[in-house]
Amino acid sequence: MSYKPSEQDLMAYLYGELEDDKREKLEQYLLENPTARLELEKMNGLRHMLAQVEDKEVIAPPIFVGEHPSQRFWQAPYMKTIMGIAASLLVVILVAKFSGLSIRYQQQELRISFGDAPEVKTVSPVTQPAVAALTPEQVQDMINNSLQQNNATLQASLDETQKKLNASINQSLALNSGKIDKLVQQASTASEAQVREFAASLQTENAKLVKSYLQLSANEQKQYVEGLLVDFAKYLQQQRNDDLQVVRTQINSLQQNNDVFRKETEQILTSIISKVSTRSNVGMAN
Amino acid sequence: MTETLLDIAMMHSDTLLVRAKEGDQAAQGKLVQLWYKRIYNFGYKFFMDHDMAMEVSQKTFISMCRSLPSLQDNARFKSWLYKIAVNYCREEARKRKGNRSLSFDVVWNREAEDSPAWETSSQRFDNPERQLQQAELSDVLQQALHELNDEQREVVIMKEYEGLKFREIAEVLNISENTVKSRMYYGLDGLRKILERKNINKDTIGYEL
Repeated sequence: MSYKPSEQDLMAYLYGELEDDKREKLEQYLLENPTARLELEKMNGLRHMLAQVEDKEVIAPPIFVGEHPSQRFWQAPYMKTIMGIAASLLVVILVAKFSGLSIRYQQQELRISFGDAPEVKTVSPVTQPAVAALTPEQVQDMINNSLQQNNATLQASLDETQKKLNASINQSLALNSGKIDKLVQQASTASEAQVREFAASLQTENAKLVKSYLQLSANEQKQYVEGLLVDFAKYLQQQRNDDLQVVRTQINSLQQNNDVFRKETEQILTSIISKVSTRSNVGMAN
Repeated sequence: MTETLLDIAMMHSDTLLVRAKEGDQAAQGKLVQLWYKRIYNFGYKFFMDHDMAMEVSQKTFISMCRSLPSLQDNARFKSWLYKIAVNYCREEARKRKGNRSLSFDVVWNREAEDSPAWETSSQRFDNPERQLQQAELSDVLQQALHELNDEQREVVIMKEYEGLKFREIAEVLNISENTVKSRMYYGLDGLRKILERKNINKDTIGYEL
């Protein structure tokens, strides 16, 4: 018999997971091969030994799992791309803005420049006026004249406005200072009167308060003392009544005792008398 | 076994799963409670480190809650969950490999100071029985498990401690069932060799117990 079980079959057999037909075959083999049997037994012994390892006790810590991240529309992949493009465009625009980049397309030419945009020289063909009648000196004179005239009129108008301004400022200053003085005075007098009034009202109020308080406390005291006196009188009366009762009961008991005593003595007396009389009778009879 | 109990709970948790998929936070919380211990222990055995295990399990469950609606077949929830966990474990392991700094706990291990260090103490090496008495057996086993390579360790933990079927492990790791079985075989073989080297066998265990 050339059957020799594979390692896999041995393992499956060891853990009882071998199919029935294979198992029979293997068991047969083991019967015939003591060395293989020994090896399997060793394995089984090892398993028993391994079973000595016990589980460690552990307490499960609370596991917090956040809400499932809901797929928001800006988290969608295509949205991310769009946002990326938008962001980079923004960056480009900002950089262009700060570096002063300017791009212009004008008159069939494209200009890209940094910094201030250069003045585009649109050189229009200057039409030379035909004023050849005037010499440069004349022109200079004319310019000088007009300049002087301008200066004079400007100076005049400046002076005038200066004067006007000064006048109006002075006027308004005078007016305002008068008003302010008046206001301040008014305020001070008013405040003095008010303070006095306030103090007076405070005083009267205080006096009233103290008066009413005194009155109230006097009344209360009077009531309290009256109550106290009444209570005390009642107490005295009660005490006297109690005393009287005690005296009365004692007198009664005394009287009763007396009565009892008297009755007893009477009985004793009668008994003595009767005894004596019987004795005398007996004596007489003897 | 806790696995079977869990399986029963899983049967009942089918409705839980449906509710959790619909976004019911209470149902998700219950699902986390139900599975946290398993995933944590998987992570712990993978890294032998509490903090890493916590990290991985928290990441796993956060990811689970987020991507539950994308789970097609409710019956495959278990392997789906372990798949997430395994991926995070691998990620963390990769990160840790790149990270050259050592955590303070590794540099100065209080437990190691108190107990005889398994691997390094040479003066105690002549007396394995005493070592065995003093060190926790399960620590030794986990240490041995930790010495396997990642691929074998994943498979051994999932099979031996998490009780997944070979088919499920294959689903988790996206490999063929036969590959899973042979990884398991070599994993067990490797473990046996490691333990033999540490002079631990059935007899010493019996003595210890």
